[in-house]
Amino acid sequence: MSLPSGVFQQSYGQDMAIFRTKTQWLLLLAFLVLLFLCPLFASDRILTILTIMGISVISVLGLNILTGYCGQISLGQAGFMAAGGYISAVLTAKLGLSFWVALPTAGLGAGIIGIIFGLPSLKIKGFYLIMATVAAHFIIIWVILQFSGITGGANGLSAPRPAIGDFVFRSKGSYFYLTMVITCLAIYCAKNIVRTRVGRAFVAIRDNDLAAEVMGINLWVYKLTAFFLGCVFAGISGSLLVHYYSFASTDHFPFINSVWYLGMLIAGGMGSIAGSIFGVIALKLLDELVTFVGPFLSAVIAPQAAASIGLIMRGLVIALFLIFEPRGLAHRWELIKSYYRHWPFSH
Amino acid sequence: MTKIKLLFVALLIIILATSTFTACGGDVTSGDEEVTLYVGGSFSLTGAYAEDSAAVLAGFEDYIKYVNETKLLAPWRDTKFPKNVTLELVWRDDELKPDKALTIYDELKAKGMLLFRVSASQTAMPLMDTLMADNMGATTMVSGSYLLTPPKTIFTNYPLYTDELAAIADWFKANWHETRKPKVAYLTADSAPGRSIDIPEMEAYLVNAGFEFVGKQFVPMVPTSPPTTQLAWLKDNNVDLALGWMINPGSQPTIKEAVRLGMGPDLDYKITFGFAAPAHLAVFAPAMGELGNGVLVAGSYPPMSHNEVAGVAFCNELQTKYRPNNKVTHIMYLHGVIEAMLQIDALRTAMTTVDADNLTSKDVLEKGFYTIKNFSTGDITPLLTYGPNDPDGPDEVRIDQVQNGEVVFIGNYPAHHVYAK
Repeated sequence: MSLPSGVFQQSYGQDMAIFRTKTQWLLLLAFLVLLFLCPLFASDRILTILTIMGISVISVLGLNILTGYCGQISLGQAGFMAAGGYISAVLTAKLGLSFWVALPTAGLGAGIIGIIFGLPSLKIKGFYLIMATVAAHFIIIWVILQFSGITGGANGLSAPRPAIGDFVFRSKGSYFYLTMVITCLAIYCAKNIVRTRVGRAFVAIRDNDLAAEVMGINLWVYKLTAFFLGCVFAGISGSLLVHYYSFASTDHFPFINSVWYLGMLIAGGMGSIAGSIFGVIALKLLDELVTFVGPFLSAVIAPQAAASIGLIMRGLVIALFLIFEPRGLAHRWELIKSYYRHWPFSH
Repeated sequence: MTKIKLLFVALLIIILATSTFTACGGDVTSGDEEVTLYVGGSFSLTGAYAEDSAAVLAGFEDYIKYVNETKLLAPWRDTKFPKNVTLELVWRDDELKPDKALTIYDELKAKGMLLFRVSASQTAMPLMDTLMADNMGATTMVSGSYLLTPPKTIFTNYPLYTDELAAIADWFKANWHETRKPKVAYLTADSAPGRSIDIPEMEAYLVNAGFEFVGKQFVPMVPTSPPTTQLAWLKDNNVDLALGWMINPGSQPTIKEAVRLGMGPDLDYKITFGFAAPAHLAVFAPAMGELGNGVLVAGSYPPMSHNEVAGVAFCNELQTKYRPNNKVTHIMYLHGVIEAMLQIDALRTAMTTVDADNLTSKDVLEKGFYTIKNFSTGDITPLLTYGPNDPDGPDEVRIDQVQNGEVVFIGNYPAHHVYAK
């Protein structure tokens, strides 16, 4: 990351810091203040959108670690979310455990399931690995439906809202705060993971796994670590989603969601933590735009054609990003920042 | 050039953000005299239910126009709608996505909606808790047993799917003349409503009714290839009656393949197929012709050609009046009219005790929906009755069958309320 003119680092620690200038700290602080003031002025709808965005960001961060950093393409993220969601729902609804126990257990449980389905990655990659992760999705959903005595099967399972003592996170505002705190923690964790030795090993594997192995990186360990970490994030995201809906159903984790999560990663920028956030914001805002303009469009074109515009738009956006900006919005963001740092000079 | 690009990106972000934020702005709808009340809600105009939902939306549009113009509720009803109240239809496409349904609900609630429409199972489940917390009554076109899991503020005009299939089982048993027990199995869609029939209560009902329960087979909601394996399994297990929940894009290829395999009431391998309401025979029979002979559907409506049914005649009149050149032939148009009738009647009933401009969603739920008893849809459905513990309106199940390519009314059977949770 480039720095403003005149700012120089004097130690490795400074060089590796996430925030390196006071301005960056101030901007972060201002953003967080603005974000956490949202419930004071934003409507329920905006809070719902932001909450769902926060939950999606956690899931896409996991996918970014797995796919964006380690190069293990996965289309099973929605399945791993389902695993985490159901673990959390069963622990709270059936066993009466607290959400605060269920949440990390959901993450760990999904992570372990991720390791199991990550085993094929040691032998296969690319298209074949995609197929293995697709299979993971359907196997997870099948298992959930088969154990209907525990999971509720097709009828689903009511999941209680999280609570601290007598305070229940029932309102949109309270759940927004809960989600945002966990999302911020997830972003912080993800950012740190990719700055460590493990993160560098992931990047080495992504860029050339053979070369990475020759350099002494244990592919077996690191690929499975990537699956574990990616699925931990998915599990936590799934748990938050289930408790937000107060209901766990396999229909809330359709396969197509995995495709859209990958689309968010493409639009945001693979291998960039900021990209995970940008991608989610971009596609979710597009979703809302389509919902809003749908009824107006239907007056001009046929209702069904107007409705399908959501799918078309999302597909189109992903295709356009792949063609014109494969490095995603994160790259665009870096260019914008660089432009304003150097302004009025072009370089 | 770079600046132009940056400006373009900034402009795009502003447009997206503005449209999102403006969409949630509250509207002042009430005045001292003239009051506007909203009806409608969330529709799944994209996805597996797109065709059904488009017809439902058309039904809503026409019925609301009718009430606004005439202040009448239906030709068979003397009650009138208040003159100072205008109805406005609001709708959004949720694409069958739970998160979209939630934001649509928040948006329309902020706009001042006092009731809601839930489009499908996928969107009903995450909304159930929120609707109850907000004391918001809602209509829907789904009828899975999960709707009976408390809280109960989503009202259906179909019998529950399990009750529909139990009625088919009753009919089948009454017509069974062999000494051995008939064998029954599920052949149902691999989706939440499809799997919602697979509950212990349903299996117990079938066994108590004198069936031998063999097992279950699942087919995709919209199969991309004929479900040969599943049908062959039925054959191998000598199943006499296959029960399931399917929509027409699922039931039609399934029955075509069954006929190809020689399976049917009049074919080499004797078997009867019975489906729950979304597999409406009014859509199925014209498409399948005599290939569909013997197929039963429970809980559906009379075909739109049956003008002798008062409700159907009314719906056809609505179409002649409001869309003479663009008539909707899909049976779910009737459903749209019925749902609109229920929403508007809930509002009207609540307004008999509370002024229109003071009305709250709690009033509409408790003084509206909960007080609807023996509601007539002009014989499109049995009489509908709702209450705090009674979200499934009808207590009877209509059964139709395809005979010589035509839809034939078999009879009304009692709803057994198989799912008792």
